[in-house]
Amino acid sequence: MEMYQVILIALFIYLGSIGSIVGNTIGWYTLGRPLVAAFVVGLIMNDVQAAMIVGIPLQIMYMGNVTPGGAVAWDLSYATYIGTAGALAFSQGMDATGLIGLAVVFAGIGGLVGQLMWNVSYALNLPLNRIAHKYAEEGNTKKMWVPNLLFGQLIGFACRFIPAIIVLTSMSVASGQADFATLIPGWVTTALSTFGGMMAALGMGILLSFLWKKQYQIVIFLAGFIMVTYFGLSTMAVAVVGVIAAVLYYVVVSEKESA
Amino acid sequence: MAETKKISPSTLKKSFFHWFFWNGCSQQAESMLGMAFGQAMAPVIDDLYDTKEEKAKALKRHITLFNTEAQVGSICNGIVCGLEEANANGNCTPEVIESVKVALIGPTSAIGDSLWVATIIPILLTICLSISQGSTSTSWLGALIYMIVYPLGTCALSWWLFKLGYKSGLEGMQSMMASGKLDALTDAMTVLGLIVVGALTASFVNCSIPFQIVKDVYDGTTGEIIPDTVIFNMDNMLNAIFPKILPLALTLLIYWLYAKKKWSPLKLMGLILILALALTGLGYFSGFYA
Repeated sequence: MEMYQVILIALFIYLGSIGSIVGNTIGWYTLGRPLVAAFVVGLIMNDVQAAMIVGIPLQIMYMGNVTPGGAVAWDLSYATYIGTAGALAFSQGMDATGLIGLAVVFAGIGGLVGQLMWNVSYALNLPLNRIAHKYAEEGNTKKMWVPNLLFGQLIGFACRFIPAIIVLTSMSVASGQADFATLIPGWVTTALSTFGGMMAALGMGILLSFLWKKQYQIVIFLAGFIMVTYFGLSTMAVAVVGVIAAVLYYVVVSEKESA
Repeated sequence: MAETKKISPSTLKKSFFHWFFWNGCSQQAESMLGMAFGQAMAPVIDDLYDTKEEKAKALKRHITLFNTEAQVGSICNGIVCGLEEANANGNCTPEVIESVKVALIGPTSAIGDSLWVATIIPILLTICLSISQGSTSTSWLGALIYMIVYPLGTCALSWWLFKLGYKSGLEGMQSMMASGKLDALTDAMTVLGLIVVGALTASFVNCSIPFQIVKDVYDGTTGEIIPDTVIFNMDNMLNAIFPKILPLALTLLIYWLYAKKKWSPLKLMGLILILALALTGLGYFSGFYA
């Protein structure tokens, strides 16, 4: 990776994290999603196609990772930008399954760093309350942005951008050292791709826990499942069927209530 | 007599955008989104109150603990703006404002997290994933669509909820929640979500037991010995019972551990790693991969 690529990716890691300057809707919920992150990394590293090969499985794995706030299970922004960038940096001589396996590993490393930095910024933000109280005490409406926006952003930026630069630079240096594709033994690649395929169950399992509220609803889940296994439909086709089912359900339920 | 005080439309817009963009800037354990709420309320307070003392009092009640799912939670900001306006005209008390704020935390977080964050986002992502998956040469298309649709849609919804909160106040929100429309809508989205998650599970979760028995078989009719014939393949047998039964079982196991046994995602990742290593080991041990 070139230096400008490292800086750009680190910048996006910061933008895609919780509470960046562009807001959670554009940041965490858009730039931070693996699907989008892979696209951005692909553009920066000039290989969109390879980036999307790892972006799609990463998105499935982390599909369940949606809730910000106290319960951040995994720092998505770090995980996916570093995962995709790492996979691309080490991609020399790798096939698609190898790439995905690499991405999963780097995403794991990135996620851990991100989780640590989230806790650091969460703690560093605490004293800002004192500044907010001081301005509130003075009735200074013009300065209320200082603790939240100015200091919050300074802390957020420092906690994301700097560690990201360090991680990305060391990855970039390491990738230039040797031809890793020949060094990694075959069983590691096999284990990684097995792991990658199974990790998708994590995203789906967690997502299921949000949606599955009444016991009978498991048959709806199974309906989607067999439409793929027995009928061979694509996920897009199943989504269309799902929309139709949802509309019918809504109409039936609201008519029953108004009747 | 003093004229009735009113928040100007531009101030409302300013307050909304301060919240929309910077609600998460200074999140921490003491006041959660409190400082961000204070920042969003500052222009409104500036509009409504004249003296420093009044402004100080108003500001102080908006930097205390506040938390919600910020995108759907913009309705709280709208409601509080309406209440502050009433308060400035003597039709409301600070105590009411404070208790309403606290009361709003629960329901708005619940709706925001379950309906928006845990249902709409995954569904939209899934649709975009399917678009990306459809063709390798345009695999970026899904990402691009998501980047446009999600922020614009959310911003529009958030602004609509903000205005709804401001105009119709707490009653508006209550009537919306009591009408049953919201429940029906949530349930309908759940139907869509579950079908789609089912399809994704079948398409993307991979898990197999790499075990087979290979032997040289004596063919009685021709009298030949056919070398290296697979006489038993674990995966083929399981899939004959129910296609992709293992990915399904794995997903349900993860669900059960996460939802019922309260395992953390990190712990689950560890479990998956161990299982993956064990299965790989089995594959090499039984000669499946060799």
